[in-house]
Amino acid sequence: MPENSGDYSQEVDNGKNLRSVICKYCTSIILTPSTASFSSFEFDLPLMSQRKNDGNVETETVTTFWIVNDMFTFQNVGFSHTVGDKKYLACADCEAGPIGYHDLSEKKSYVALSRVVHT
Amino acid sequence: MAKTYDYLFKLLLIGDSGVGKTCVLFRFSEDAFNTTFISTIGIDFKIRTIELDGKKIKLQIWDTAGQERFRTITTAYYRGAMGIMLVYDITNEKSFENIKNWIRNIEENASADVEKMLLGNKCELEEKRQVSKERGEQLAVEYGIKFFETSAKASIRVEEAFFTLAKDIKTKMDKKLVSFLFY
Repeated sequence: MPENSGDYSQEVDNGKNLRSVICKYCTSIILTPSTASFSSFEFDLPLMSQRKNDGNVETETVTTFWIVNDMFTFQNVGFSHTVGDKKYLACADCEAGPIGYHDLSEKKSYVALSRVVHT
Repeated sequence: MAKTYDYLFKLLLIGDSGVGKTCVLFRFSEDAFNTTFISTIGIDFKIRTIELDGKKIKLQIWDTAGQERFRTITTAYYRGAMGIMLVYDITNEKSFENIKNWIRNIEENASADVEKMLLGNKCELEEKRQVSKERGEQLAVEYGIKFFETSAKASIRVEEAFFTLAKDIKTKMDKKLVSFLFY
């Protein structure tokens, strides 16, 4: 099921994030303004809260992302252990996540706009 | 693209399992999110940004990823580490006694000039204390390292401990740079 994709055009300035990107739950700062590039594509991201515990991971299709080229651009973030060729991203403070993923072959990180707050 | 920071320090958290290393990794928030997905996979490392003397410092903080269950940590894990937080639980005598073993493991595997710090953590309550603050201080003196008692749960001194460790690493690096440039 696709996310409620919302209109994020006002968050993008010159292809970059106009405002800071923070955690939805504890307001930890994830990215400072103008450090990530906007991109839109489809990716099935596991749900933050899994309803069932039967080993099947429930996902949703996420369509808008902030691309972070160098992981040390992040202000604060947690990287999960590796799953396949990816690591999932979580809030460094409250560990809410996944808020996106890191592709180990590309060495790029993708933060889902719908999983964070802009302020 | 220009670098967005001045320093990058790789830090490790080492100690017995269950001493609250994971708690030390984040500022405790009452409503910490217990998502089954992230907690099942586990956190490998965290990136944190701090500012010291007007310089932007990126900390990459690694947890031992359960390797500590085998009471030994491989050389690969220590590679490039500039700072190590040795963590024990003040309510767990065994975790304190094991600090000596961890220091031996570090001496055998990590670079000789890695900056170390001792943390007595209490995710539990003061009533359950088994290791006095004095014993922690004494051990730190014995090894010539700094010591903090922290409460990750109440955020007490956790940030201060990380700042102090980062500051000591920075001072050491700056000194090295000066001697490289002028001598």
